[in-house]
Amino acid sequence: MDRRDPFRLNALTSGHRACSGCGQAMAARMVGDLIGPDAIFVNATGCLQVFTTHNAQSAWQVPWLHSVFANAAAVASGVEAARRGLPGSERVVVQAGDGGTFDIGLQCLSGMIERGHDALFVCYDNEAYMNTGVQRSGSTPHAARTTTSPPGRLSEGKRHLKKDMLAIVAAHHMPYAATASVAFFPDLKAKVEKAMRLRGPRFLHVFSPCPLGWDHDAAASVQVARLAVETGLFPLVELEYGAVTGVMRLAQRRPVEDYLRLQGRFKHLFKDAHGAAELRHLQALADANIRRYGLLDATTAWDTGEAGRAQRGGRGGYAPAHGAAS
Amino acid sequence: MSRLRFDPGSSTAYRTGDWRRARPIYADRWPPCGAGCPAGEDIQAYLALLQAGREEAAWRKLTEQNPFPAVCGRICPHPCESACNRARVDEAVAIHQVERHLGDLARGRGFAHDRPRAAAAERHVGVVGAGPAGLSCAYQLARVGYRVTIYDAASEPGGTLRWGVPDYRLPKDALLHEVEAILALGVTLRLGVRIGADLSAGELRTRHDAVFTAIGNGLPLVPAEADVTGHGVDSGIAFLRRVNAGERPSLPARVAVIGAGNTAIDVARCARRLGAAEVTIVSPQDRPGHRPGQPAEEMTALPTEIAQAEAEGVRLLLRLGVQRLVRSGEHLDGLQLAYVDHVFDDAGRFRPVLYEGTETFLPADRVIVATGQQPDWSGLDVLQPDPAAGIFAGGDCVGGARTAVAAIGSGHQAAEDVMAYLEGRAPVELGRAATASFDTLHTHYYRRVPRHTSVEADTDERQRDFREVQSGLESVAVAAEAARCLSCGVCMECDNCWHFCPDAAVIKLGPGQRYRFDYEYCKGCGICAAECPTGHIRMEAESGT
Repeated sequence: MDRRDPFRLNALTSGHRACSGCGQAMAARMVGDLIGPDAIFVNATGCLQVFTTHNAQSAWQVPWLHSVFANAAAVASGVEAARRGLPGSERVVVQAGDGGTFDIGLQCLSGMIERGHDALFVCYDNEAYMNTGVQRSGSTPHAARTTTSPPGRLSEGKRHLKKDMLAIVAAHHMPYAATASVAFFPDLKAKVEKAMRLRGPRFLHVFSPCPLGWDHDAAASVQVARLAVETGLFPLVELEYGAVTGVMRLAQRRPVEDYLRLQGRFKHLFKDAHGAAELRHLQALADANIRRYGLLDATTAWDTGEAGRAQRGGRGGYAPAHGAAS
Repeated sequence: MSRLRFDPGSSTAYRTGDWRRARPIYADRWPPCGAGCPAGEDIQAYLALLQAGREEAAWRKLTEQNPFPAVCGRICPHPCESACNRARVDEAVAIHQVERHLGDLARGRGFAHDRPRAAAAERHVGVVGAGPAGLSCAYQLARVGYRVTIYDAASEPGGTLRWGVPDYRLPKDALLHEVEAILALGVTLRLGVRIGADLSAGELRTRHDAVFTAIGNGLPLVPAEADVTGHGVDSGIAFLRRVNAGERPSLPARVAVIGAGNTAIDVARCARRLGAAEVTIVSPQDRPGHRPGQPAEEMTALPTEIAQAEAEGVRLLLRLGVQRLVRSGEHLDGLQLAYVDHVFDDAGRFRPVLYEGTETFLPADRVIVATGQQPDWSGLDVLQPDPAAGIFAGGDCVGGARTAVAAIGSGHQAAEDVMAYLEGRAPVELGRAATASFDTLHTHYYRRVPRHTSVEADTDERQRDFREVQSGLESVAVAAEAARCLSCGVCMECDNCWHFCPDAAVIKLGPGQRYRFDYEYCKGCGICAAECPTGHIRMEAESGT
């Protein structure tokens, strides 16, 4: 085991083959270390599985299981059912990308929730099929460039809208469904910890920038994630049994252009009048999110300003590397 | 291991560090506050210690550079705050309040400077002048074990701080305590000894291995053009010296003060406290900040001092020059003034040009001239600075900013120069340019918090005596000010780099120990540098890329 760092487990440790600046590796490391060692991770096919288990070398330092693309939630259901009555207190965590959540894994996810399995499903959303070469998914936002939604004279990029995955999940009599972002660690930490205190199916949707697929600077991943929240394109909310119970208010509302300009996948929107019209459309989508969740006027304990602060000595760390079970 | 052969096991066998084209490096930058401080205080460091509740450690860090925190916290124009990056976020950190608090705390709790473990050398250094420069030099030498003797012609130590700054700005006991703390290091103080009279400069030189001269500006400097002498005319520094010696001279009703600096302001404020009903400052220069790009045409007095003087009823007549004293025989009637075109000639000499036909009369029963000071080198020819011969000079008498903090910095540099001379090495230049510029910060990571301000004594009440005008802050507010520090360029262990690293290449070492990069795995994405609030991390291109 690699125990270089006495202050975090490194559930996902070094040597993995993610691209430089990978937002998904960053997010999975945060989530894995917040959950701690007493968990069994089931991973759908996708970037996270590919780059962490290359050539029989595993970057996981927690029990970890790879399923096929579609059935991670079904495998997790089985693991959870099989563990009942056995000694030990390990919890079950499912990890999947947006392809393994929004599209290919949706049926098994729906079944897992419907049957009430005690498992946390974490979707690391990088908004396309990245490890196979940046093909569009049900999560790819409107007007984004992918290799299967190329912009051109007759195309604005992806024609369709991003699925509202949170609402789909929340429609299942779902105990807990939330969105989170790597750019707001204190918020992500609170949500993971809350999810792990609850029993039954839970869903966490973590926004994970992809420097390769989104065509932005590797150093800009956190900035991109922050702007997705601050523009209203990716609202940070919590839903319990379908009701909105938590909203991160926007301390400062940013125009979507601030977010889009950092990314090559939206470059065509800044070229001509056609692009300008799509830009207005994306702004309208952000405005709709802001209205829907009250992102500007929600009465909440904190906002993007407060949750985005740094302070001397940090704002909390991770679960103890050696949990109660060991 | 071949890059193309893999054995089953941990991914840590695969070193991703060789993907890297640029490496992040943790490196402290020097914040603008410290660079702006003429004494070179490590302000960021002591604010951080205070934030951690380590008050005594904060005082020790501060006094590494400046043994006068209670003094400077009160009277320093605090250029540190003018340079503070926080001013561009909301308002500058109230550094002077923290400094004052630490100085007063040291007195209350009896903090003492660490005595040297052993004498560094049996070398004996003589210091002429027990003002801030001389005391600062003696302090720095004594801390490392040099023997030091300070000579001063006056009856008490402190120099300009003792004899030039009135009690309402700097209570004498605050100064005395910090002087005594320096003397407690084993420094010998010989008072009432005027070098060049009571002891010859040559004799002084032979007694010591090196000499530092910091005699200040003890003589009034009066512009040659104006004939402002005779009955009813007093010199500003002589007046202040009497008041600071405890005299309370009675003054007539109408007092005119000629000058544009802090001495003129202090003279005027003392005159109000001594009962003068109409006190007028006559200055050929304009208010600070009113002549952008023409600093020579602005008063050198501090804006806060001017504001407090005006609140106390001092009247300012600006852009007016003195043409002559108006007398009826011996009796002084007042001043004939005229409006000023410009104050300095093309060569930069003080030579006000007055408009003919704009003459005006200012009635005055007493005129006090506070137009400047100069050093008194009489009898001290042997002590003209000659670093190669071990003779050094500093403080006001060699020019410069003429503030206490500049004198303290000058004395510290002199101590370094003296040590280098005695140890036969090259001296270190203590001043450092700021490297933690505003652009290196990521300010969205900081909460906006308004600056704490202290209160002034009631303007009517305070003119009845020489009580201190400006109060300090409560310790809670001081701690809050310390917490407002942005920690420019210096790691504050916020954990950002550690949380955000996608590659587990940032290792946390524990509280106070910061972090280290594991270059075996760091891919050089640069997220840590991009998200470091303080600008502590820089990216450096890998060689060969």
